[in-house]
Amino acid sequence: MLADIASNLSLGLSVAASPEGFLFLVLGAFLGMIVGLFPGFGPAAGIAVLIPMTFGLEPTIAIIMLAGIYYGSMYGGTITSILINTPGESATVASTIDGYPLAQKGRAGPALVMQAIASFFGGTVGVILITALAPSLANFAASFGPSEYFLIIAVGLLMLTTMMGDNKFKGFISALIGFAVGTVGVDVMSGQQRYTFGSPELIGGVYFVAVAIGLFGIGELLHCIFNGQHRQPAKRLRISFRDAAFWPSKQDYYESRWTFWRGSGIGFLAGVLPGSGATLGSIIGYSVEKKVAKDPEKFGKGEMRGLVAPEAANNAASAGAMVPLLSLGIPGSGATAVLLGAFLMWGLQPGPLLIVNDPEFVWGLIASMYLGNMILIAMSIFAIPLFVKFLDIPYVNVVPVIVLLCVIGAFAINASIIETWILVGSGLIGFAMKRYGYSPAATVLALVLGSMAEETFLQTYIISRGTMSLFWERPVSLVLSLILLAVILIPIIVNLMGRTRKETALTKQ
Amino acid sequence: MKKWFAASLLVLAIGYTYYGLSTLSLLTASGRPAAGFFPLIIGGLLVVACAVNLWGDLREWQRERASGQAPVHLADPETEAKADALGVDAHAIDGGPGFGRDVGIVFLYICGFVALLKVVGALFGMILFMLAFLFTFNRAHIISNVIYSIALPAFLYGLFKILLNASLPTSPLGF
Repeated sequence: MLADIASNLSLGLSVAASPEGFLFLVLGAFLGMIVGLFPGFGPAAGIAVLIPMTFGLEPTIAIIMLAGIYYGSMYGGTITSILINTPGESATVASTIDGYPLAQKGRAGPALVMQAIASFFGGTVGVILITALAPSLANFAASFGPSEYFLIIAVGLLMLTTMMGDNKFKGFISALIGFAVGTVGVDVMSGQQRYTFGSPELIGGVYFVAVAIGLFGIGELLHCIFNGQHRQPAKRLRISFRDAAFWPSKQDYYESRWTFWRGSGIGFLAGVLPGSGATLGSIIGYSVEKKVAKDPEKFGKGEMRGLVAPEAANNAASAGAMVPLLSLGIPGSGATAVLLGAFLMWGLQPGPLLIVNDPEFVWGLIASMYLGNMILIAMSIFAIPLFVKFLDIPYVNVVPVIVLLCVIGAFAINASIIETWILVGSGLIGFAMKRYGYSPAATVLALVLGSMAEETFLQTYIISRGTMSLFWERPVSLVLSLILLAVILIPIIVNLMGRTRKETALTKQ
Repeated sequence: MKKWFAASLLVLAIGYTYYGLSTLSLLTASGRPAAGFFPLIIGGLLVVACAVNLWGDLREWQRERASGQAPVHLADPETEAKADALGVDAHAIDGGPGFGRDVGIVFLYICGFVALLKVVGALFGMILFMLAFLFTFNRAHIISNVIYSIALPAFLYGLFKILLNASLPTSPLGF
């Protein structure tokens, strides 16, 4: 097995380390850091906008660049979390909790270095685990039938929505909206037009790139404007790695020695679960680290472990999200949903056979992630002063860049003004969704997975003659069905128990 | 506004389900699922979920009215809900006023930009959008606004039209 892995990786390295591959890897990683740095333009929007620009490239090289944007943004997003208490993207929200207090204490330099090291550690552990797990999972998944695929999609989306706490109905609605939009076009089974309203433009369905750019690009941008970012003056921050206070102390490394491992392991597991993604991974990483700490009262006040844990977790999760994407063809987050869309556009069929049919692509991508993490840690530490200078640009000057890229990018895909208006409409809906606690990521995930979900559901229905018995007759489906029930019932039971305890406590008073 | 958005979603869900029921068949002649089968399931779930969601938002609105307290401005409601569900307090980034009017203005500018794309072309459309936006929100810097409003669109036009050979709308002047 080790010999196979070594041989596959050397194949991958021959692609990723080629001059063209390396150039676009560095470009993707750099763009990813910039994308992560600025609020309102996360990796999902960045990938979606750049997809049309990569049409002239080889698919493997294009995906290497787009994936670089994805995991590069995890490095860049933390810079603003630490320096100005504004997460560059949602996966770095947990990093603000202890990152910003560290900066307020005058320890911005050590915080930035430790986050880079933690990101590198988490990313590298994640990629090592992908190398070990993706082929095995793909072999296992080769026996999956339609019932298993449908249940994985359902479990993934339900987990994403259930983890939204009080907003779980909003998450559920967000996913259903994605499925509903995905029904527009022609029904694959019968060839009948659905919800096209006689428009020839809608016969091909609603193009997910325009919706993704709208929700994640324009929608997030409008939300940042609502939060007043465009009215804030530029932050004149100066950091130099030549300062004595820039580097972490020995105590920082010693106290965080197990945190790196815990955060990476937790983050990777969270990323592998469809629907979880880097955001949930980083929050779980932080939560667990605080719970296992002997001094939890220090968290939230500038504790280095409180920064290292979510950082290792979000980078490991971003790697983990590639496992279901590559081996099952099921994305784990909004950004990987957009990546999946890119795969489909290039005629790649994600799923268990992708590793067999396109080994250069899969191993090239995995090898590029190893190289990408090495490039990013160097960039993150030694180019911090450069990236901090980007924060000198007032957000009011960044807004037009985002709008123009989104609108022109959406138009340029198919030279369609209808798709551009879909982008605008999606932007308004995306803003409302962000404002009121819905989940644009669930919508895009469901939109990308909608046709697969419908196809596998109907196949299960037909094969089991309407009884849906495949969901409990097949062993893997039975396990997934039980997990699905647990995902639905456990939050309800926990909620009821919590209410009963409160009522009992009130009665005793 | 939250309850109005929830109400709109319910109306759209009912419309989606009704339209599907009236234009699509549920089962084929042989009893297999037809084009309307899956949309009906999605539509039904949407109607129920949107109705429950609207009821929850109305209750929350009534509680806020009764208490007289304005709701806290959450910076990232979705992520903070996930954090709350896991017992993590990520609310340090909350607070501050909301700039709804600015959102409306920017959205109108974006709509105007897209509407003008095919009339004045991509390059002039971008320039007009930038001038409108910068002279609304960054009035103090006149010269830099003008330079930026020409330089950025020219760069993006060059990138998309010349380098990437993308098809962009042209003005009556031919570019």
